[in-house]
Amino acid sequence: MAEELIDHTIEETTQHAQQAPEVLNEHRAWAIGIAGWLVPGLGHALQRMWGRAGVVFLAVGLLVITGARMKGNVFTSKGNDAFDTLGYVADLGTGSFYLAARALEVNGADVSHAGGDYGTRFLATAGVLNLLAALHAFEAARGRKA
Amino acid sequence: MSVTGSLTLTHIQAFLLFAAVISVAFGYLGRRQPKDRLKYILWSFFLFLVVGIGIGWAMYPFSR
Repeated sequence: MAEELIDHTIEETTQHAQQAPEVLNEHRAWAIGIAGWLVPGLGHALQRMWGRAGVVFLAVGLLVITGARMKGNVFTSKGNDAFDTLGYVADLGTGSFYLAARALEVNGADVSHAGGDYGTRFLATAGVLNLLAALHAFEAARGRKA
Repeated sequence: MSVTGSLTLTHIQAFLLFAAVISVAFGYLGRRQPKDRLKYILWSFFLFLVVGIGIGWAMYPFSR
């Protein structure tokens, strides 16, 4: 009886010891994914993927700056319809760069010309690209081939 | 160069800039080896051009 109990305890302890790194790894992967969303490229930088980190940071930054300077629409939470809300979600994908876009666009959007409309697409693309990169960093942190 | 001033790009400039930036990002995220990345970037950029210009011409009859 005592032997069985000891065996059972050892088995349970071994299982916990095996599961602990997995749980830790999962938490780390989530932290990396969120970091990658908040600061474009940070998710890859934390995993020492310097090339990818640099490219993501520059690509998202360039798209945000260009989009804002072209007077694209930086959507807010006070949208009028579903498309505005979708645009807001896409823009939020840039993480902290969303605030930079708001700061850059001091005179407001002007989508009466094609340039402004293109700017809106640039901003939305920056957000979606950053979400894709954050997901990529998350998957890489979980041990998937990246 | 200020980053706060307004920027005016022609249609083709905006198109080329967009295609180039996205192609490079896709290449780096999608491939590991430098040679594979370069091939992917060039192929992706080429497809952006073909599809973009193709759609542009496809819309041409309805533009007037």
